[in-house]
Amino acid sequence: MKKWFLGAAASVALSLSGGVASAEVFKVGLIADFTGAFATWGMQFQQAIEAYQSANGKTVKGPDGKEHEIQFVYRDNASQGPDKTKQLAEELVLREKVKMLAGFDLSPHAMAVADIANQAKMPVVIMNAATASITRGSPYYVRVSMTIPQHVVPLAQWAWGNGIKKVFMITSDYAPGHDAALYFSKTFKALGGEIVGAEKSPIQETNYSVYMEKVLQAKPDALYMFQPAGSPSVALVKAYSERGLKTAGIKLLGTGETQEIFLPQFNDDVIGTVTAFHYTETNTNPGNTALKAQLKKMFGEKAGPDIASVAAWDGTDLIHRSVAALGPNAEGLKYLDFLKNAKLDSPRGPAVIDPVERDIVQNIYIRRVEKRDGKLVNIDIATVPMVKDPWKIDNPPKSN
Amino acid sequence: MSLGFALTILLDGISYGMVLFIISVGLTITMGLMRLVNLAHGSFAMIGGYIAGYLTQGGTNFYVALLVAAIIPGILGGLAEVTVFRPLYRKAELSQVLLTIGIVFVSTAAVTVIFGAFPYPVVFPEYLTKPVDIGFRTYPAYRLFLIAVGGVVAIVLWYLIENSLYGAKLRAAVDNPRMARAVGMNVNVLFTGTFMVGCALAGLGGAMGAGIMSLEPSYALKYVVLFLVVVIVGGEGSFKGSFVAAMSLGIIDTVGKYFFSQAAPYLLYVAVFILLLWRPQGLMPAKSVA
Repeated sequence: MKKWFLGAAASVALSLSGGVASAEVFKVGLIADFTGAFATWGMQFQQAIEAYQSANGKTVKGPDGKEHEIQFVYRDNASQGPDKTKQLAEELVLREKVKMLAGFDLSPHAMAVADIANQAKMPVVIMNAATASITRGSPYYVRVSMTIPQHVVPLAQWAWGNGIKKVFMITSDYAPGHDAALYFSKTFKALGGEIVGAEKSPIQETNYSVYMEKVLQAKPDALYMFQPAGSPSVALVKAYSERGLKTAGIKLLGTGETQEIFLPQFNDDVIGTVTAFHYTETNTNPGNTALKAQLKKMFGEKAGPDIASVAAWDGTDLIHRSVAALGPNAEGLKYLDFLKNAKLDSPRGPAVIDPVERDIVQNIYIRRVEKRDGKLVNIDIATVPMVKDPWKIDNPPKSN
Repeated sequence: MSLGFALTILLDGISYGMVLFIISVGLTITMGLMRLVNLAHGSFAMIGGYIAGYLTQGGTNFYVALLVAAIIPGILGGLAEVTVFRPLYRKAELSQVLLTIGIVFVSTAAVTVIFGAFPYPVVFPEYLTKPVDIGFRTYPAYRLFLIAVGGVVAIVLWYLIENSLYGAKLRAAVDNPRMARAVGMNVNVLFTGTFMVGCALAGLGGAMGAGIMSLEPSYALKYVVLFLVVVIVGGEGSFKGSFVAAMSLGIIDTVGKYFFSQAAPYLLYVAVFILLLWRPQGLMPAKSVA
């Protein structure tokens, strides 16, 4: 009896493995920060990838009719510099024999793998790294996240279209903050608006009282902030309310500061803040509902999606679809042709990859912070459809 | 620039200075009294802040939370003094710096594990988050609260140090520790008690000041330079010096931000640099140091 059972089990196992043996494992190397200051990014990427694969399966049927497994190999950049990224990428390509690279929360990390991607003819799916110029760095880059000007330009346009004539800017003194200030003022002035003051605050600033005094004296219709999420943006909103700017009717505008994962750090002063962003957590797209439900099911009530989750979900979707279309052994450029012409049915809403720039073109949502059922959330109040990165429009690719 | 506006800047500077004072005064006494370079002082302020944040988020009364935020770091400080710091007093400065910076890293990691990497808010009572009318303008009630509490703490400390027996012993031990021991004072008890008070004040300052210096795991490291600057500018061991130094730094920083915002991050340090060239022992050094 026992023998018979074992034999049967073995034959079942054999036949199963026989069925899978001809299929292949398609490895994707994912590089992100899982420890250190930027550890949240890695965690959010990984949770969303696991959520996607749990909801849609780890395998896809290739053109050969066989099931191929997509396997993510995670490497921790440990919030260190781009030299570490290079090492990790080399190890993934040479030893793990990955077929694609993905992840990259910080721009310098994404830029660091251009040579490796070119030499190994390896597609790189960038899931955050928002510096506008990055996708020009290698023909193997495809980006599914966003750029800063993509948010800022629609925000300035919305402000002008909604009766705001004078704006004061407080932007953080680092490269993305400079981009934000440049694109906001350029767009707003071109429409006829006036920038009545512009201040750069140190990146770790938490004491905004003095800046608010300057804003009060300049009497703008709105205050535009570009501040790192966390203590700087929380402190700015607090000072904005405390110094009476809110009661004086000065509107507060921003971009990524009010993402839902950050809202619990604010108090009710933040209600009414208008931001422009490519993903609103409360939207009811089927993809978003699926993503949220899957994250909660797998990682508990506290797990919430953010832009990292959305980009990782979409990136994983693209990788799965490219293997389904081309099988596990196509050339790098073939995958790239597929990726750069893809349409995305993203949790954020509709989006496409621009085939020329290999960068995402997507809706930008204008949202207002409100309180629903005792919880601070963003509610969409307008949509700017299919925004292409304005930096790329200003800096057209050199024809050669 | 109107007078009202100058007053506003002054109030901003003073309220900031009060927080610096409450947190740093403990450090100045321990550095003067025990000759201990305690880089971990900011950790006690951070612990106080997180305790207040945890309690107020759970609905505890704000003032009760402040009290607990002072008491627990005080007790922790007492324990740490007996177990960790006491063996350090006779060691070289490098050992002191290494061990206390190690405590900073441990506290940072512990806070990240327990409370997460994001900033952690202290929930202030509704009336403290609103602006109030002070005659010539509306001004944040929170800042006035800081000035009031800071003022009370300064007066109480001044009275204790200048007029009580404890204060007399403290001054004697700071000015001449050998002589103090020789006349039979129990300097160990004095050290522990003073260390506890210093840490309790740091905890109180960390909790109260969370609206200006926001709580995050890097708090202990981020602000320790400021606390040390207050001590050095004021003069080690000098209570009055640390008050004057904290006020001056608060005002210089605020004025600097207003008029030279691009240079503000450096302006404070330039001012300290010049001041220390002029008076290397600080503004009002204790007698033993001068």
